[in-house]
Amino acid sequence: MSLTSFDGFVAELRAFMTRSQEHEFPKAELDGEFNRLAAALFALQREAVPVYGEFCGKRKVTPVTDWREIPALPTAAFKEYEVTSLPAGERTHVFHSSGTTQHRPSRHFHNGLSLEIYEESLKPWFWRHFLPGGAEIGSGGDGKNRTYGTNRTDHASGKPQSPISNLQVIVLTPAPVEAPHSSLAHMFGAVSAEFGGAVFTGRVNGEGAWTLDLEQTMSALREAQSGGQPVALLGTALAFVDLLEHCRDGRTAFRLAAGSRALETGGYKGRRRALPRVELRRMMTRWLGLAESHILGEYGMSELSSQAYDRVIGEEDGGFRFPPWARARIVSPETGREAGEGETGLVQVVDLANVRSALAVQTEDLAVRGGEGFELKGRAAGAAARGCSLLLEESGSGEWRVGSGEWQFQEL
Amino acid sequence: MNEKPLNLPAYFLADLPAGATLTAGLITDACLTLKRNRARYLEGRTTENLIQRLDGIGRDWLEADYPFRRHALEAGPAATGFSAAVLTAGLDSFFRQLTAENLEELLRQELGHPLRLDDFHAAEHERGTNRVALARGPDLLAHIAPGNIQIAVMLNMVLGLLTRAAQFVKCASGHAFLPRLFAHSLYEEDAKLGACLEVAEWPGGTESLEAALFAQADCVTATGSDETLAAIRKALPGHARLAGYGTRVSFGFVAKEALDGRHPETIAARAALDVAAWNQLGCLSPHVIYVEEGGRIGAEDFAGLLAGELEALERTHPRGQLAAREAAGIASRRAIYEVRAAHSPETKMWASTESTAWTVVMEREARFQVSCLNRFVYVKAVHDADEALRGAEPVREHISTVGLAAGGTRTGELARQFARWGARRICPLGEMQKPPLGWRHDGRPALGDLLTWSEWEK
Repeated sequence: MSLTSFDGFVAELRAFMTRSQEHEFPKAELDGEFNRLAAALFALQREAVPVYGEFCGKRKVTPVTDWREIPALPTAAFKEYEVTSLPAGERTHVFHSSGTTQHRPSRHFHNGLSLEIYEESLKPWFWRHFLPGGAEIGSGGDGKNRTYGTNRTDHASGKPQSPISNLQVIVLTPAPVEAPHSSLAHMFGAVSAEFGGAVFTGRVNGEGAWTLDLEQTMSALREAQSGGQPVALLGTALAFVDLLEHCRDGRTAFRLAAGSRALETGGYKGRRRALPRVELRRMMTRWLGLAESHILGEYGMSELSSQAYDRVIGEEDGGFRFPPWARARIVSPETGREAGEGETGLVQVVDLANVRSALAVQTEDLAVRGGEGFELKGRAAGAAARGCSLLLEESGSGEWRVGSGEWQFQEL
Repeated sequence: MNEKPLNLPAYFLADLPAGATLTAGLITDACLTLKRNRARYLEGRTTENLIQRLDGIGRDWLEADYPFRRHALEAGPAATGFSAAVLTAGLDSFFRQLTAENLEELLRQELGHPLRLDDFHAAEHERGTNRVALARGPDLLAHIAPGNIQIAVMLNMVLGLLTRAAQFVKCASGHAFLPRLFAHSLYEEDAKLGACLEVAEWPGGTESLEAALFAQADCVTATGSDETLAAIRKALPGHARLAGYGTRVSFGFVAKEALDGRHPETIAARAALDVAAWNQLGCLSPHVIYVEEGGRIGAEDFAGLLAGELEALERTHPRGQLAAREAAGIASRRAIYEVRAAHSPETKMWASTESTAWTVVMEREARFQVSCLNRFVYVKAVHDADEALRGAEPVREHISTVGLAAGGTRTGELARQFARWGARRICPLGEMQKPPLGWRHDGRPALGDLLTWSEWEK
């Protein structure tokens, strides 16, 4: 297939996604393939996504040979402009970043094919980290039992864990039909559909904000606990805080069955009080009985189509890592160049699964590179300056889905 | 010169070694000591004596080899984040104001007679009547200092001293450097005066420590966000008075005739000084420079000139290092303006290369924009002052200073227009961060909020 059309690119991307998971790619080959695909997608988008084309034109970036040369579009551009190559009539789906009604959300448009790519990107990387040993998963839509996850021995630990059957999935966000513009709800919907019997305990209130149905969540947890059924909890850090504070206030500590696990994602944007990530996890251990090694952190945003995870469940925290078809750079805010070892910088992501928008995205998240992954260090300072200034959120960024350990507040 | 670094003796709580914990008991003890010392050493001082002391200190601080100044400039960049050149400019403009003449002028302005803190006197206009009055300051005046620029609280300390109040200066964590040095210089000049001062730092909102302080203070000045002030107001016991200085922003206005001259770059240079002073972090620093169209050069050319001047200032008065979080804030803001500038000619951006040292964003849209500061300034093209004020309407309640560049009779007309609209202070562009000693901070009297009057109808 030719790389000169989006459809042609998608065919090659699919092949790359499959091969990069199945084989131990030699690094040089992986790099070469990633560069080739990134350069091709960049060339397509520069022509077909007007706002991105203008931006690259201004920076005078012509064809690239290395993915690091691709200009990264700030997440804020997704709020102000339609960052898409899809004509209005071909857009079948749009994801919005979360935010209050005063702020324009980011918008990420999809058609049928790009939405398929979104799902094909999110699922395997999720399974690999959330259910590394593979699992017997109860009836999916077709009533058949299937095995998910990988029983491969090529991941870091080398030893597959025993399959888990009968995981009770509790999703702390609204169901996708309730929140059709949330990429997170869509993702949770996509992965939990494979389990069967998943419950969504998030609700959308009159203002469009998410709340948690505590009663339903607690009763689902109680039921699983008394039946000895392991639980998979998926939710935002905020929803977990609500749940954990409820447990704490009622002195209800769960001892969930062995194999229980959780995925937490998202910051506390707009909240005055935030729980440091370490504290959140400590509380998850204390009140849900989850082992630290069984709490997975996810980093994703509506502007991207791939996600990074900070560990394989059951293993040590290894920093956030994207799948082979997305790469992160940490760049110095001062120079825009790659940050040095141990230096805090801004996260830039080149995501090949962002087929119809912009593959290179500049976030407002701070991180430090560590080995293969990166560790989050909070967010760029907003408009609120030290001491005396007004809060005015004009160029805020995209949805942010990770609880970082370093939340600093205005202090006098 | 290769002299020993300054070793500050442990006079104040802020001198305690890192790791020493403050307790409510320590704060209470310090307050009681301050009050005792005030009664012994300060209450009976004459205004003349105090002015003399302050005038002497003002002079000392301007001497290049004054140890406290030297220490401020040597250790200051690491302790405050400001470059030595920025610190020098800020210290000089503050201490040049601290003269006997200005102090006397301030008292005359505030009290109607310079010696009314010493004895009963009639004000100028009361001569020949039977009315005289004297003013007393608080016993213990507490200052909740802001975290943005440390020098702001030093003016409050001077005012407090004039009123013979014992003073407790509470700094934000990591922001005690300059107030602490100033307090040490007062101590060295006059140890008994120094004994009526305390300087401490702790994270704002530490309830137990603040409750201990507020229980002892009969007057509090506080600078901070409106939320911080509300919290302090709530925490203060009923008897204590609060002089609160809330969230403030400022802007510049360049009238078209100011750009008609042969050297518009001098106007841009003045705007650049205002942006660079204290790295734009103060309430008096401009977020936006409105440029009135119709002069010899327009807003876009002016923005280009301003960029050139900021670049020049970066060489002589570098901004200094920022924390990653702050630098990332600037980088993120620049990124979105880069996208906008690529999309439309209505936005243009000039920025330092290889650093976040300075940024100028020009927009043809009058809406006031709050800057991320650290030398990130907006230039906005407007047809006239009315349009600028309509643009600034959302922050009208919060405007402190307007830095004005105009010509002829228009200067007065514009100053009146801005004042009637609500600006608390109008000054020439280039002087925004140099308020006079007696300025009425946020439109409040300089001393009035601290004083209690006693009247005598003879």
